[in-house]
Amino acid sequence: MEPGNGGFVRAPRTVGAGVFMVLIGLFALYHSWGLTTGTTRQIGPGMIPQSLSVLLAICGVLLIVEGFVTRGEKLEAWKIRGPLFILGAVVIFGLAIKPLGLLLAAPLAMGIGGLASSETRPREIAIFAVVMTVFCLGLFKYALSLPIPLAPWLIGY
Amino acid sequence: MIELIDNLGTGFSTALSLQNLGLCFLGVLIGTVIGVLPGVGPIATIAMLLPLTFKLDPTGALIMLAGIYYGAQYGGSTSAILVNIPGEATAVVTTLDGHQMARQGRAGIALGVAALGSFFAGSVATLVIAALAVPLTKLALLFGPADYFSLMVLGLAFAIVLARGPLLPAFCMIVVGLLLSTVGTDLETGEERLTFGMPNVVDGIDFAVLAMGIFGFAEILRNLENPEVRDVSRTAIGRMLPTREDVRRCVKPVLRGTFVGGLLGILPGNGAVLGPFASYTLEKKLSKRPKEFGSGAIEGVAGPESANNAGAQTAFIPLLTLGIPPNAVMALMVGAMTIHGIIPGPQVMTKSPDLFWGMIASMWIGNALLLIINMPLIPLWVRMLRVPYHLMFPAILIFCCIGIYSVNNSPNDVILTAFFGFFGYALYKFGFEPAPLLLGFVLGKLMEEKLRQAMVLSRGSFTTFIENPVSAGLLFLTVIVVVVAVLPSIRKSRDEVL
Amino acid sequence: MKKLFLALCVALGFAAAPAGAADYPTRPITLIVPFAAGGPTDVIARIAGEYMSQSLGQQIVVENIAGAGGTTGITRGSQAKNDGYTIMMGHMGTHGAAKALYPKLKYDPNKDFAPIGLVAGTPILVVARKTIEANTLKDFVALLKSRQDKMNEAHAGVGSVSFTTCSLFNGIVGVKPTRVTYRGTGPVINDMLAGKVDYACDQIVNLVPQVKAGNIKAFAIATPKRSPALPDLPTTTEAGMPEFQVSAWNALFAPKGTSKEIVTKLNQALDKALSTEGARKRILDLGGVIPEGGDRSPEYLGKFVASEVARWNKVLKK
Repeated sequence: MEPGNGGFVRAPRTVGAGVFMVLIGLFALYHSWGLTTGTTRQIGPGMIPQSLSVLLAICGVLLIVEGFVTRGEKLEAWKIRGPLFILGAVVIFGLAIKPLGLLLAAPLAMGIGGLASSETRPREIAIFAVVMTVFCLGLFKYALSLPIPLAPWLIGY
Repeated sequence: MIELIDNLGTGFSTALSLQNLGLCFLGVLIGTVIGVLPGVGPIATIAMLLPLTFKLDPTGALIMLAGIYYGAQYGGSTSAILVNIPGEATAVVTTLDGHQMARQGRAGIALGVAALGSFFAGSVATLVIAALAVPLTKLALLFGPADYFSLMVLGLAFAIVLARGPLLPAFCMIVVGLLLSTVGTDLETGEERLTFGMPNVVDGIDFAVLAMGIFGFAEILRNLENPEVRDVSRTAIGRMLPTREDVRRCVKPVLRGTFVGGLLGILPGNGAVLGPFASYTLEKKLSKRPKEFGSGAIEGVAGPESANNAGAQTAFIPLLTLGIPPNAVMALMVGAMTIHGIIPGPQVMTKSPDLFWGMIASMWIGNALLLIINMPLIPLWVRMLRVPYHLMFPAILIFCCIGIYSVNNSPNDVILTAFFGFFGYALYKFGFEPAPLLLGFVLGKLMEEKLRQAMVLSRGSFTTFIENPVSAGLLFLTVIVVVVAVLPSIRKSRDEVL
Repeated sequence: MKKLFLALCVALGFAAAPAGAADYPTRPITLIVPFAAGGPTDVIARIAGEYMSQSLGQQIVVENIAGAGGTTGITRGSQAKNDGYTIMMGHMGTHGAAKALYPKLKYDPNKDFAPIGLVAGTPILVVARKTIEANTLKDFVALLKSRQDKMNEAHAGVGSVSFTTCSLFNGIVGVKPTRVTYRGTGPVINDMLAGKVDYACDQIVNLVPQVKAGNIKAFAIATPKRSPALPDLPTTTEAGMPEFQVSAWNALFAPKGTSKEIVTKLNQALDKALSTEGARKRILDLGGVIPEGGDRSPEYLGKFVASEVARWNKVLKK
């Protein structure tokens, strides 16, 4: 991670960070605008979220300023493969667990997650997924008796 | 003194009965397992096992449930060190240096130090409870809403010190954490805040959801992008036992951590969570090598782990002496006692001495059992780290998914965690650290509640924070901590400019 | 051809016959408790469930779904299948006060449920910090009236029993104190012990040990008869405020449309449980009040809920 070039924006990553914070602050402010702010005597639901949003936005601006004045890191590139397959696998697990049950959702999620890494080999991950699913079955369902659906489409629970 | 020994005698004879010993063992074993596993926590487990305890006598039931609680603290530290995922809120601090140690091939040492420090802390805490339970409760009663608020502010100051990098981004993270803690239903009016119509956050975002997303999934994404960094631990063989130097460095942090954690654990409302943070800050400031903190300083594990465990034990004090549960887990214990016909309160000590002293004795036994169980597991854990990452991460993935789902049987929670995973990824890309965010989140709810209560009681006057002596003292301490934290960086930038 | 048609009709007739309510229950029943495990409602639910399991022959499994003063769990329960395998424990807050407190409530306490029966009620106490300058209810009321909003009343959040019952109390006395919100009963008791707040109205279960130990002062119990748990405590009628009569009642409900046979079976199991020595002792030890005779019927519960909804509507909508 080399320091930013001596160009106009000296620390692109810091500026990006600042912008990110400002956006979150404004977003939160917008969504908490409708809440009653109240007074110091009777603080309403809105006061804390609103003040925090404003504080965050201000800090974000400070970061942006810092990014123009001090040297810092360049913006890092965002990869697609990792987030897509890992987070996608999690979402698919979430969607699949109730209708399909653990026995299908788990291997599915692990398989899709495996696609995120270039080191994964298909047969290896397939076997591993099956073994892991059985292990999880034993641990979560039987040892800890958690009410997790196993295969609703097959056995009803 | 004689009375104390007498009481402890009663306690140990109760706790060492075959049934109670067995239940203690079962409790700490289950606790360790769920502590290691992401998502599943002591609250859910204890609630689930509550019906099973009906068949048992009350002392045995409580011994087992207590074992689950402090066993989970051990387990939470294990996953924090091994895979950088804090199983419990109290384990967040352990991830900072503990996981770095693991990366350097010193996972065995980190786990060992954590286990030994925790055992020491637990033993001391048990003695403290036995001897000083009643006076300590009076200490807890000194804290009013204003004092609590100031304590939380001090806690946030710790978070700033905790940060490895520059202060402004760390401060931003704290604020984001505080903002996230406001999501949910407002306590006073019942209005929904920032919930976007999602039913699963109506009562607030679950700690596990946030931690799994920002620490767990984002960490996987980070590791996938940096294969060189993560493989370090796989090549180094790693020592299992701490060196003499290591042990020497740990002695004082363990002592300090036990004191700090034990004291904070008594405070109702999750004072125990502050223990590790306070200890870490203390060690970082007292250390001759502050730069090491954040890259594997052994004191950064020894202190917080001791604080962690001491707090978990002293958290039982308000429960046993007053019958007031200081946190959600203790509230379950109250339920367990009530179901068995024991009304928790000041009389438990005198009317059910077997129960009271039996529980205290079993806490020490539980700590000993945890040591016996965990130490031999350390080589196993270390070996587990050698598993190739492309197999490890799908395993972590599925454990997190199942763990999150099992908290509320809610698929929405799982999807929300994925969102936080993405959020954590974005934070990492912009150079932010997740630990201060989590601390802000954990402290936020209590802070806001206490602020509002203090304001109502003072009829809108902010001077209440100075008028209350405890509060004033804590705020003064906060100023000192912040100044000490900020001073070096001001000096540094001054040096840079000059 | 005709034979085939006839056979088909018979077969369809069998298939269409409802799963006999005669053999209910054939598998475990889920009892939704809309509060965190360990609290008074949860404890009472578990005691009832345990004894009901004995006469029903099937396990009653408690599922805790806490949130929003209990309305989250009840909403889930009201939308469950009405085959008798999901029932729920409602209480004064979820079925009496909820309509007045939550404008966006997703269920109607009067219409969306098949009442099964009252389980137990926990009497409400008026308590204050031990240093308060009053020793009887009359003196305390006078103190309240003279100090008005200088008095700090603690409650466990909008929708909680302590909030709703104290709203009634304040209304009867005619005072508008400063109300301080806490997250749960534990912190309320904590701050009262520390002397930071002045008074509260809460369920007897939470308060007995503290009152007995002298850590807080209790002025009266809001029931017609004194409680065996605190025999020296006068009733509100004895202490001069007969209008303050309230108890945090708990009752079992099934989703609307549950068949009458199933409701009757559940009611009988509940009735039996409430007459069993073991269950009675445990509930009474908690300070709970067990309904007797006709008060245990589903019809009584239905009428009771309607009257409670009307009552709290008046008190809380002001």
